[in-house]
Amino acid sequence: MKNKYVFILTIAIVCSLLLSLASEGLKDLKNKNIEIDKKKNILSAIGIDIDNFSVLDLDKYFTENIDTLIISLDGDTILEISINDLNEVENKQNGKVSYYHNSQEVLPLYKELKENVIIIPISGKGLWSSLFGYFAIDADNFSTVKGITFYTHGETPGLGAEISKEWFQSNFIGKEIYSGKKLLSIKVAKPGLADKNNLYEVDGISGATITSRGVTELLKRDLKRYEPYFIRNKK
Amino acid sequence: MKIKKTFIDPLIDNNPITRQVLGICSALAVTVKVEQALVMTLALTFVVTMSNTIISLLRAYIPSSIRIIVQLTVISTLVILIDEILQAYMYEISKTLTVFVTLIITNCIVMGRADGYAMQNNVKDSFLDGLGNGLGYGIILIAVAFFRELFGFGSILNFQVLPEFLKNGLMTMPPGAFIILGLIIWVQRSLTSYVEK
Repeated sequence: MKNKYVFILTIAIVCSLLLSLASEGLKDLKNKNIEIDKKKNILSAIGIDIDNFSVLDLDKYFTENIDTLIISLDGDTILEISINDLNEVENKQNGKVSYYHNSQEVLPLYKELKENVIIIPISGKGLWSSLFGYFAIDADNFSTVKGITFYTHGETPGLGAEISKEWFQSNFIGKEIYSGKKLLSIKVAKPGLADKNNLYEVDGISGATITSRGVTELLKRDLKRYEPYFIRNKK
Repeated sequence: MKIKKTFIDPLIDNNPITRQVLGICSALAVTVKVEQALVMTLALTFVVTMSNTIISLLRAYIPSSIRIIVQLTVISTLVILIDEILQAYMYEISKTLTVFVTLIITNCIVMGRADGYAMQNNVKDSFLDGLGNGLGYGIILIAVAFFRELFGFGSILNFQVLPEFLKNGLMTMPPGAFIILGLIIWVQRSLTSYVEK
């Protein structure tokens, strides 16, 4: 081929066509994967053993037992908006995720009917990365913690990455986030120093002070956002 | 004989990682578990074999002044393709591999074989050379991952074999990869008494 411009142009067009074809063709599968992953994480936040769940079981469990709600910042339930219409915007500084419908800021919420639990998405900064997870609390008193899970993070394996381990997450179960009318959230203390009888404190991770502090902060911030809803619906 | 040499050489004697010390970045990063290493091997072998074949097919037509651009275009296309496929069919693993699949684009082995071998050799040889180099990379990757998973998590392919107390957190972190990879290179070089000139 004599003309190098024609040559590189041809190559570029062929390659880009191929890639758009592949991307378009695999889009449904990819989106499905992301959706399944999300569902799995929501269920594992409330301690449901999902290892033996097939995709069908997962979908079935979801349609039967989980209500997805959208609420306004004042705590009102908005029925007209579906969760698929939300735009997620991550604040890269502190890892906070805001949800928008058009220009209105809203909050998503999952309600599990069988165990009577609500599940909220949480996110924030650790040492190296943003942490993303779900936090589950009792749907009557909005205080008793039913579970926590982190599904995406880039923390150091063996140190900060322990936040996705069972031992760390199980510490949260049974703790409280409210003391009377005051939202205290949960503090991740220095490793081994958390008072077992203190309902607002859990043991942190050795060698992961900043990740632990990150978890404390993100819980405080993200729970605060839902406070109007908690107050309004508390029984 | 030549076919055998083109394919077998990069597996051990002229291994891209231990002998040429290429592709170290991903060899250190994605060798925490054997499963990851296997998928990474698969992805890289696919890319280097295909890119070698395609570049070799086109070698007579590629104007030499823009050959690097052409090679990069072909390689990037293949890498993005494999990344899409992994995301669609092996989502869980593609999540743990994160950016390292897309970073195959900058893996020196792929580029090196395309420019250093496929540009001068016929399609069949280039194909075998790519396959050999991909698998040669894979052998080391899996070897490193084997030891890191065994001593770091006490498991092999997520199957628990060592008791809990023998786990060594160092192995799961980057230093573990450096140590194991260094040891492998050392053992190979003392066995073959190869000295870098």
